[in-house]
Amino acid sequence: MSVGTLFKHLAPFLACLGLLVVWQAASLVLHNDSFPTAIEAIRAIPSILGDKEALFNFAASLRRMAIGFGAAVVVSIPLGLLMGRSRHVASFFNPLLMVIYPVPKAALMPIIMMWLGVGDVAKTLVIFLGVSLPVIYHSFEGAKAVEEKMLWSGAAMGLSSLQRMIRIVLPAALPDILTGCRTGLVLALITMITSEMIARQSGAGNILFNALDMGQYDTVFAMIVVVGAMGIVFDALFEALRTRLVRWSEPPFEIPLSFS
Amino acid sequence: MSVIRSRSDLEAEAAPALRRTVAMIEIDRVSQVFQTSTRQDHLALSDISLTVNDGAFVSILGPSGCGKSTLLYIVGGFVQPTRGTARVKGKAITGPGPDRGPVFQEFALFPWKSVLGNVMYGPRQQGVTYSEADAQSRALIEMVGLKGFEDFYPKELSGGMKQRVALARTLAYHPEVLLMDEPFGALDAHTRTRLQNDLLEIWERDRKTVLFVTHSVDEAVFLSDRVVVMTRSPGRIRQIIDIDLPRPRRRTELLLDPHYQKYVVDIERMFDDAGERELRP
Amino acid sequence: MNARPLISDLVLGLAPLALLAALWQALVSFGGVPVTLLPPPGQVFGRMLQQLLTLSFQQEIAATIFRLFAGFSIAVILGVSLGLAAAASPPINAVVRPIVRVLAPLPKVALYPALLLLVGFGHESKIVLVAADALFPILLSTYYGASIVEQKLIWSAMAAGTPPREILFRVVLPAAAPSILTGCRIGLVISCIVVFLAEMIASTDGLGHLLVMAARTFHAVDMFVPLITISLLGLILNGLLEAARSYLLRGFPEV
Repeated sequence: MSVGTLFKHLAPFLACLGLLVVWQAASLVLHNDSFPTAIEAIRAIPSILGDKEALFNFAASLRRMAIGFGAAVVVSIPLGLLMGRSRHVASFFNPLLMVIYPVPKAALMPIIMMWLGVGDVAKTLVIFLGVSLPVIYHSFEGAKAVEEKMLWSGAAMGLSSLQRMIRIVLPAALPDILTGCRTGLVLALITMITSEMIARQSGAGNILFNALDMGQYDTVFAMIVVVGAMGIVFDALFEALRTRLVRWSEPPFEIPLSFS
Repeated sequence: MSVIRSRSDLEAEAAPALRRTVAMIEIDRVSQVFQTSTRQDHLALSDISLTVNDGAFVSILGPSGCGKSTLLYIVGGFVQPTRGTARVKGKAITGPGPDRGPVFQEFALFPWKSVLGNVMYGPRQQGVTYSEADAQSRALIEMVGLKGFEDFYPKELSGGMKQRVALARTLAYHPEVLLMDEPFGALDAHTRTRLQNDLLEIWERDRKTVLFVTHSVDEAVFLSDRVVVMTRSPGRIRQIIDIDLPRPRRRTELLLDPHYQKYVVDIERMFDDAGERELRP
Repeated sequence: MNARPLISDLVLGLAPLALLAALWQALVSFGGVPVTLLPPPGQVFGRMLQQLLTLSFQQEIAATIFRLFAGFSIAVILGVSLGLAAAASPPINAVVRPIVRVLAPLPKVALYPALLLLVGFGHESKIVLVAADALFPILLSTYYGASIVEQKLIWSAMAAGTPPREILFRVVLPAAAPSILTGCRIGLVISCIVVFLAEMIASTDGLGHLLVMAARTFHAVDMFVPLITISLLGLILNGLLEAARSYLLRGFPEV
């Protein structure tokens, strides 16, 4: 492997390291009590992870995220595909979705909590709503873009309407669908954290703000690092999965979510 | 003007095993109206009547926008005619089916399947067992000249190769009629001539009925038994010309053949005259 | 091929909204849902109109809008500049790319507590968060748009005498405009969402803050008002941006 390619692979790690160095330097320079150095924050991580209760909280958060994400994907993909292939379905749902789009789903937390109480259902519902939108949108766009002639070829081979939907539209739109899922995954994490910050009950967001209230600034920053790491890891894992699943596709000609 | 021979003369000269004079495709007074984006009615095809016999290679030739592809799509069952009927083997066409296999200019291959996967698709759909479909498909892939590429994905193939796969994929489910929509239009001249030769070679083996849409005069004359010349939009049949050139046809021989040249020149003159008339106010 | 009259599409489009409003009303009137949990739409919109006329509410809206715009503008300026720079210069690209790759998937909202610690509960923390969240889509779409500019366009300009340093602004930037504007639209929506959320989590004023206050005092109507306000705000801003986009891109082929 040449130096160039080696650098390319290591670059993200170097970037992380660089950011941590900048953090360290900045905190030393600013010399602010509420701004611990990177090293201090990192040292606080093991104590968080070691705390049984905190881990339990984390697990609960992740479970909610998984259920919300899973349910959203199962509902949104068929809906998006149908919208993509049927103008009637699209015209019906489009305005509804456009109204819901700019509303921060986590902002619905207080209202939903008012209706459904403070349990898991409310939090999972919010995550479900947050993930649904990008998945519907991307499935819609992907389905719309499927070449008509491919469907005709399938029809000539004897495929029924439903078969064409499942065996042609779905795989053909898969690259777009998975991009939507990637966005959805990021949103699931964000919605989870924010809803926990707003409706303080349990979970990572709650731990963060509790530490803030109690002046445990090391913990605050440590949690930030942990949550940040979760986001990066999830995204990297999903992207690896995505490229494997759609190895056959041309590189996507749309706004990338990040450099992949 | 053009050398029009009767069908029986052709048949007398034809290669052995030419059995059928059954009308395979009957198009009866078909018209097609489309709505444009400005909500006006556009007459794409006007009162087309045409009979294609079993085993005939028929080209539909015309300038862009004359509705020739639309006619093909009507026979394929992808588009319903506004007026008139189309039948295949006596039965009215209500939708697409494996008896009429399309080959499109844009290839329309399934990008998530390999070459082999694409070709096996039709047979598997018809219920053929995996191993049988696999064997048949590999034979077909070899016949179109792509042996060794079975596991490649469409995105890794050149245009000419993709079109070979498309042809193999359609042949795999044994349609009685081949509907080819300017299949070589997206390819460079060299690849085009190679594929024309290969297509004829493959066609000679079982002589399916072929409806071949093109805007290239020499392609139409080279490949077909009959050329249906269409007018500009709204598309009507200007003339049907029987091409009485012996088969098998070799391009290099044919290019020097005065009969071939006369067909091409006569048809091109037809377009020139029409074009002149249209340009004059 | 798209021959349907626009009117039937519009009617079909309004149908679900009307249906939603009707459902809302029905739930209140017949569904046995207590008014304290779900106030009827009439009451909510009435209150909203009432609020819009009061100065204090207007000040809250102003605070939210100010933070939104400030954050969004910073994101646009930074995003477009960095995106163009990264597309134009390989060394800058080599530095920016890995950093973006690491930071983009990170939930920026996790940084919010840190921001609160560093700059307090006022405008600055919200503005920085908005800018941080809106930055990445704009940067990425600018980079993408700039890097796919057709080489032939640049060559034509050079042949016509454009000096190399002007190429970036006179050819690449306009050619990348469709992509940039799409990124800006995404960034704008994100800005609306983030500013509201940030105000909900920790703030002394703003629409998000109003919602949380109403929640704490169990005033259902006052909870819906800021929510609907921010949605409408988002729709209006989106519409304005679309109009600007149509105008700026009027020469471009349909995209």
